[in-house]
Amino acid sequence: MAVDVPTRAPEDTGERPRRRQRSSQRTWLWGSLLALPTAWMVTFFVSSMVIVVLLSFGNTTRDGFPVFGTTTENFSALWDEVYLRLFLRSLVYALATVALSVLIAYPVAYAIALHGGRYKNALIAAIVVPFFASYLIRMYAWKALLSDDGLVNSGLRNTGLGDGIELLNTPWAVIGGLVYGFVVFMILPIYASLERMDLSLIEAGKDLYHSPFRTFLTVTLPATRPGLYGGMLLVFLPALGDFVSAQLLGGSSTFMIGNLIQQQFAEGQNWPLGSAMTVAMMVALTVLMVAYLRATSSRAREQ
Amino acid sequence: MARARRLERKPAVAVAVTVVFFAWLYLPILTVALFSFNDQKSLSAFSGFSLRWYDDFFHNDALLESLAASLGIALVSAVGALVLGTMLALGLERVRSRRGRVIGAITLLPLVTPEIVTGVAALLVFTGVGLKLSLGTVILAEITFSIAYVTVIVRGRLANIPLEVEEAARDLGCTPLQSLRLVTLPALVPALLASGLLVFALVFDDFVLAFFTTGVDPQPLPVRIYSSIRFGVSPAINAVGTLMLALSALLIVAALLLPRLFNRKSSSLDLITGGERR
Amino acid sequence: MNTPAVSLRGLTKVFAGATVVDDLDLDVSSGEFFSLLGPSGCGKTTTLRIIAGFSDPTSGSVLVGGEDVTSTPPHKRDVNTVFQSYALFEHLDVRRNVGFGLRRKGIDRADIDRRVAEMLELVELGARGKDRPSELSGGQRQRVALARALINRPKVLLLDEPLAALDLKLRHAMQAELKSIQREVGITFLFVTHDQDEALSMSDRVAIMNGGVIEQCGTPEDVYENPTSVFAAEFIGTSNLMTGAYAAGAVTVAADLKLPIPGHTGSTDGDQICVAIRPEKIWMSDFTPAMVQTPGTIVSTSYHGSTTQYLVSVGTGVTISVLEQNLPRMRADNRWEPGDRVDIGWLPEHAVVLT
Repeated sequence: MAVDVPTRAPEDTGERPRRRQRSSQRTWLWGSLLALPTAWMVTFFVSSMVIVVLLSFGNTTRDGFPVFGTTTENFSALWDEVYLRLFLRSLVYALATVALSVLIAYPVAYAIALHGGRYKNALIAAIVVPFFASYLIRMYAWKALLSDDGLVNSGLRNTGLGDGIELLNTPWAVIGGLVYGFVVFMILPIYASLERMDLSLIEAGKDLYHSPFRTFLTVTLPATRPGLYGGMLLVFLPALGDFVSAQLLGGSSTFMIGNLIQQQFAEGQNWPLGSAMTVAMMVALTVLMVAYLRATSSRAREQ
Repeated sequence: MARARRLERKPAVAVAVTVVFFAWLYLPILTVALFSFNDQKSLSAFSGFSLRWYDDFFHNDALLESLAASLGIALVSAVGALVLGTMLALGLERVRSRRGRVIGAITLLPLVTPEIVTGVAALLVFTGVGLKLSLGTVILAEITFSIAYVTVIVRGRLANIPLEVEEAARDLGCTPLQSLRLVTLPALVPALLASGLLVFALVFDDFVLAFFTTGVDPQPLPVRIYSSIRFGVSPAINAVGTLMLALSALLIVAALLLPRLFNRKSSSLDLITGGERR
Repeated sequence: MNTPAVSLRGLTKVFAGATVVDDLDLDVSSGEFFSLLGPSGCGKTTTLRIIAGFSDPTSGSVLVGGEDVTSTPPHKRDVNTVFQSYALFEHLDVRRNVGFGLRRKGIDRADIDRRVAEMLELVELGARGKDRPSELSGGQRQRVALARALINRPKVLLLDEPLAALDLKLRHAMQAELKSIQREVGITFLFVTHDQDEALSMSDRVAIMNGGVIEQCGTPEDVYENPTSVFAAEFIGTSNLMTGAYAAGAVTVAADLKLPIPGHTGSTDGDQICVAIRPEKIWMSDFTPAMVQTPGTIVSTSYHGSTTQYLVSVGTGVTISVLEQNLPRMRADNRWEPGDRVDIGWLPEHAVVLT
């Protein structure tokens, strides 16, 4: 409902009172409701982002305190093979996470949406509940499981299948951890898309194409595209910036940007550098997002 | 429409993947729970049932202090996020202007920003202003980044409350404020409770943001657990972990099912998965 | 002199560059059942919302009971609305829904309970007081909405297409009920609808709106029998419209068709006029001398159970629709088939000249 804007009558005959107290009177209330939360968000969120950018141009004093400044040496320090390789690695891990998530999410969402029957809600709840319950504990659990004296390796030793494999400290452990942590954000949107879809299309597709795989490609995939895109976004972003998985399940060879940034603030005490890294990461993310949105919307336009 | 759902052949691959997925999903959780009752320190062999680790936990002052701190943080944050998030949802849904849309977009940014960025940003804001890091700063940060959840859920419910209902209230003699209090808010109660519980659970478990914004003492539980984990895998952590998982699970289930109490048809799942099922 | 319950003076609403309500002047008498009838987009709902106070007019004024309420907020106007979607408060039971307005006025609790009980009896929901709106059927919810509004004894009750969501049989039943309730309570009803049957059957007076203006306002018979515009003639019921040049008491509809319009004054030779005749006013037999008659050929027939519709070609490119009741006496005798030659005729007063 649009905001009613009172306008003055062209000729004031003087007969009626000119008091323009608005009878619709809705906007003052809703507008003022917006005031406090907006002020809060601006104060804490917007200004925090601004400060990160500002500090990225700063440096550290001799006593180790970060101060604002106007130097760009933090950024030029980043333009270094080591950092770039690290960024590339994070990118690769995040993309791998997305890919694996898609491979897992589709069958799971499909099975539940189409064959869950009465238990559909319970199944989805059974997936959602662990994901909202302590990421940290679950990562720790994996660490315990995969460590040298954990269940997996002891099991291998007990059954004589070997002397134990180095499961932690590998890229796959980290990626596995990332997938474990974020796959739900792929399952839910795809599930939602499947629920909204007209299922007779799948039946028609099966009649037409006979192969379930082709049916999937030509019918299911396009129809669930919004869910897929949403999920890809919701998995990629947190995965890229994650450090817990790499820290607990990986080692120095699997460092991600997140770890590096965390180091600057926790142990390294180089806040300006850390800010610069954060800014660089956000800029890269934004560029990727924009390119991604352009690509997906132009594809949508072509449809 | 249920008949249309049951297709002829169950897709074996999809079902198999799903089964494996559930096993993979719950394996670590069950392991943690199992070994929390282990009477030995080992994490690879279960030797006997014992509650010693739970006993340890309930006598560990530091951990208990952290538990209390986390519960407090979660409660205050949930309330704060509820108030601000609901105000935001009401304002955004009823004010249709460009400014409104911009504000709406800004409030959703926290949802898509990697937590490390938000953690760093929050840390800088607090130290920049000269605020000493403490539970208070954790709360401020957690509220800021939980508002979005409340806004999304409440807005979803609000969109289903037609403007005409509020107009009817005003038609019958309510001032705009009364209409909000007597008609709109009661209708929002399921969404308010669900999002409140959700935020509580999320904040209780949250690690990254708490890590960056916490003071030295007391620390939120996840941060303290993290420190213990870093320096070795301790079995007492299993007990804590199991308790945390259990509590969060309870809260989430409650958040999901609560709307059902008010309206037999809907649940938070519908809000999360986007509503109408055919 | 009776103060009108509602008066609109020069009411105009411009929205996004379009004039939705254009300089409306209207008086609704106290105790009247008044309908605003028109197609969607004609401005009737906007007008209603302005009277209720949910929308501000661009210019003009609204008076309720003689008092200018143009800048009064809705909760202070002595006006209540029954919404198209009923807008019931789902979190309250029926009794508390109905008593809502009274509670806002601070009326004593015992009084409220008594009046709520009375009102529920009036709308025949006495037994459902403790139920929630979600447990009621569409028709029952509609009655709760009515009770909730009516109980406040407003100067005017505004009804925004309240029966639109009901199925046909229920709608007819509710129309009769609404009419009788209005008679009993004596409150002015201002009823908005796009359904002309509804408007004609329930109202004391009807105003036909089109494009933001009132085309015609009068009693249902008035508006039906004597439309003053082509729109009115076509929107209410169906009309055969014949246009042509006027000359010496007849209108030249086609080269081979000159229809006399006896009794018509006010046109000069050469004027372009339009003559409207309702299909049911046209006879195909039993003519009286006063009737205007003309020959024609049956083009098609269509059976509608109680009536039969004939399309009769009476001139080049001129087809007239005739509606005949299927009375017993007509059954075996006068069944026409396409191709038959017939004479059709009508009484002069049933041919309405429109400008």
